[in-house]
Amino acid sequence: MLLAFLALSIVVITLDFRQDSTGPLDRAKDISSAIVTPIQRGITAIFSPVGNFFSSLRDLSNLQEENTELRTQAEVMEQRVKEADAILVENERLLELQGLDESYPTMDRLSARVIGRPPANYKWAVTIDKGSADGIESDMAVIDPDGLVGKVIRVDDNTATILLLIDPQANAKARIKGEAYAGAVGGNGASEPLTLAFIDTEADVEVGDEVVTAGYDQGVYPPNIPIGTVSSVESQEAALEQEIDVEPYVDFTTLDFVQVILGSGKRDIAEGK
Amino acid sequence: MAMTANEARSPGLLSDLGLGRGVAMAALVLVAVALQSTLLARVTLLGVIPQLVLVVVVCLAFLDGERVGVVVGFAGGLLQDLLLPQSIIGLTALVYTLIGYGVGSLRHFAPSESVWSPVFAVAIASAIAELSYAMLAIILGQEWVSLSFTARVTGLVVLYDTLLTPFAFPLLRRVSARFRPEKVYRW
Repeated sequence: MLLAFLALSIVVITLDFRQDSTGPLDRAKDISSAIVTPIQRGITAIFSPVGNFFSSLRDLSNLQEENTELRTQAEVMEQRVKEADAILVENERLLELQGLDESYPTMDRLSARVIGRPPANYKWAVTIDKGSADGIESDMAVIDPDGLVGKVIRVDDNTATILLLIDPQANAKARIKGEAYAGAVGGNGASEPLTLAFIDTEADVEVGDEVVTAGYDQGVYPPNIPIGTVSSVESQEAALEQEIDVEPYVDFTTLDFVQVILGSGKRDIAEGK
Repeated sequence: MAMTANEARSPGLLSDLGLGRGVAMAALVLVAVALQSTLLARVTLLGVIPQLVLVVVVCLAFLDGERVGVVVGFAGGLLQDLLLPQSIIGLTALVYTLIGYGVGSLRHFAPSESVWSPVFAVAIASAIAELSYAMLAIILGQEWVSLSFTARVTGLVVLYDTLLTPFAFPLLRRVSARFRPEKVYRW
């Protein structure tokens, strides 16, 4: 019996290497997702209020102070939103005149709740409660208020899977804000800094520099989405590129809500859309 | 149809499981996967998620033997694989099948009354499962994190799984006993 199940496992692995996106294993994924997702939703619905209750108990002593601080912040933010609205309108007009891509702050976004994570320690992704029925498509960029979260890699009717930027298989074209040289940011797992690769040794990169997405060259991420700050720079004498670590802005361990940028995704580079 | 002597001594898979027991074990695996991907994915130990499905596989193999261990290991591992994006489907199934068989076969060497036996089995199995998965994934060409990260995760998974076992094992023993098919002797 052991041999039969081992053989079955090897057949499945072989099938996985050979199949395309419509193979039998993909259908099996659909079925398993359809079975497990309702249970995940149920568990999330049950335990979220419990978790929120305990965290609010913990924060009770700071509430008064936090309230005052938030009111002050809200007034400042209100003023900034008015200024930003005016700038966005002007920006849209200029982009239209120049025939350039729309910038990400003006794109339509869809907020979604995180309902699940992969049941493994070497895969960094989240499942959200919105899917193709809500207009989500594969390769759309995903952000949260702090910056870039990742991209959509799988879409079902009512759920979607986001590959987080900290996953070793994730990468995004990135550049130092305000500078011309671009590289690629890739993940190294949870609680590890991101790596910014392909920046040559001539480039002047310093600790604290801000890293943002570099645009549609790889066809997924709109430009200028904040990613993080440079936390270390090393340059070997004989090396062709610098070793740069980037501390991400997003706290990937506490993602509850994310926003999918509906206008983003794979683009025809020749046409720019 | 006449049964061979070997078949008579070694009951089939269906008689080992039984319908009610099969359903109960499928439910256990489903709940374990769902808990591992929701609640336990938030209540991490220094960012590491415990492998509750593996705990279920090891405990059931320890309680009911290698046949149950192999079936639950394959099913739990495959379901876990199917829920992982951009991973090698079948790899966890392969590792958990071997773990289920190993624990089920070696359980007779453990002191049956000792409460530490299942805890020890889970600790050893967790370490073997994590390292085997990492090794096979690297061999099969999957992009992987650093080896120091893998070592850290393995240590924490062993610790977390071990801590979960005293809670999971009594529950699984109760379910296993409740749905254990009665033995029928034929002459």
